[in-house]
Amino acid sequence: MIGTVYTETVVHLAPEAFAKDVPYQVVIVALEDGSRVTGRMAGDRVTIGDLVERVAVRDGVPFFLKASSRWTNVLFT
Amino acid sequence: MRPVALIGAGKMRFGAFPDRDLRSLGVEAGEKCLKNGHVSPSQVEAFCLGNFAGPSFTGQNHLAPYISTALGIRDVPATRFEAACASGGSAFFHAFSAVASGLYDCVLVAGVEKMTSQPTARVTEILAGAGDCAGEIKAGSTFPSLFAMIARRHMHEFGTTREHLAAVAVKNHANGALNPDAHMRKVITMEQALNARPVAEPLGLYDCSLISDGAAAVLLMPADRARDFTDKPVRILGVAQASDFVALDQKPDITTFPAVRRAAQKAYEMAGVGPRDIQFAEVHDCFTIAEIVALEDLGFIERGLGGVWTQLGHTKPTGEKPINVSGGLKSKGHPVGATGVAQICDLVAQIRCEAGEMQLKRNALGLAQNLGGSGASCVVSILGNV
Repeated sequence: MIGTVYTETVVHLAPEAFAKDVPYQVVIVALEDGSRVTGRMAGDRVTIGDLVERVAVRDGVPFFLKASSRWTNVLFT
Repeated sequence: MRPVALIGAGKMRFGAFPDRDLRSLGVEAGEKCLKNGHVSPSQVEAFCLGNFAGPSFTGQNHLAPYISTALGIRDVPATRFEAACASGGSAFFHAFSAVASGLYDCVLVAGVEKMTSQPTARVTEILAGAGDCAGEIKAGSTFPSLFAMIARRHMHEFGTTREHLAAVAVKNHANGALNPDAHMRKVITMEQALNARPVAEPLGLYDCSLISDGAAAVLLMPADRARDFTDKPVRILGVAQASDFVALDQKPDITTFPAVRRAAQKAYEMAGVGPRDIQFAEVHDCFTIAEIVALEDLGFIERGLGGVWTQLGHTKPTGEKPINVSGGLKSKGHPVGATGVAQICDLVAQIRCEAGEMQLKRNALGLAQNLGGSGASCVVSILGNV
């Protein structure tokens, strides 16, 4: 599943459940079907407009990775 | 619907009070209010309490009769209203509706929250309960992070900057320094605001409101009976509450809050005034970006220009539209359930010329905007001395 970053933030102050992950990036991603979902970034930081790929769903939470240039090429060339 | 007036107001200093329990806060504000309105507990016909998370913060539930009976109010309906950070505003709206409809003649509204008994990480967790726990919160969002994402998008679409956000914090801290009831009476510089430690990027510590204990109360009465109780009744010209999605990712556009626009539109219509007529306002600056978006949603300035307008000084006490002269949630403090009622008390103090060093000259028509969650609830109230 591919989408674009609609907005993002890097969280520095978190509840105990997420304290071990700090700092982590939360994103709202606009998916191909037009819907939006809140998820977490794994790996590189992203900014608004970046293409991301859903790489895992853990306990209902989608995790995204910055889409590789392979995908960028497929979509925009 | 009959005209409604506010005949009494009572609030306490906001702060961190380790030795005080939730009930004693509500009782302090309630007693001050009854005294101010020259009303005895036996004359109160209904009690509306705004409280967001008393049970989570303190373990105590069933809060409305818990507080009303301690005030000496017996037998009458006593109900808690919960609408996240708009809980106080919602209690006020429902009390207004009950008096305007003719159901009751004398309604006491209080707002209260006791937050500082929990460590910050736990407070963050409790506040997150105002978001969508099955979605955004599970993914690691906190309230600062939801507003940080709003800020990022506002910056992306309109060119809003970190300096614009900091200008809100610097102004509200300067205002709050003059407020004897403020939690943090401390002037800050632009550099301090910009260099504060990050909470959720781009928001830093000074972009966030405070974790506070506190309470506030007001007393409502039909306008034609108000002068029997006070020489300084304040007219409640318009009040409206509106709602929207709880989850931020369900909103089509996160740089504006439809619930604020809707509540404002209805309150303006009821009052027969427009945004230009409003002389001063208390808006819900839970985070600096929230004040910028509020300026736009309330129609004080065009969309996208709230940050620039703030930086130019138009929202300072000396500007054309003084905003959060009390210091706002930012400096005055944000005991969640108390906030919406405290905003009304701040309007009343201005309109009655009782605001001390904060007193404005153009004080005849004021607006309060109380926001819940990331925009899922909003109450807008317009008060005046006409």
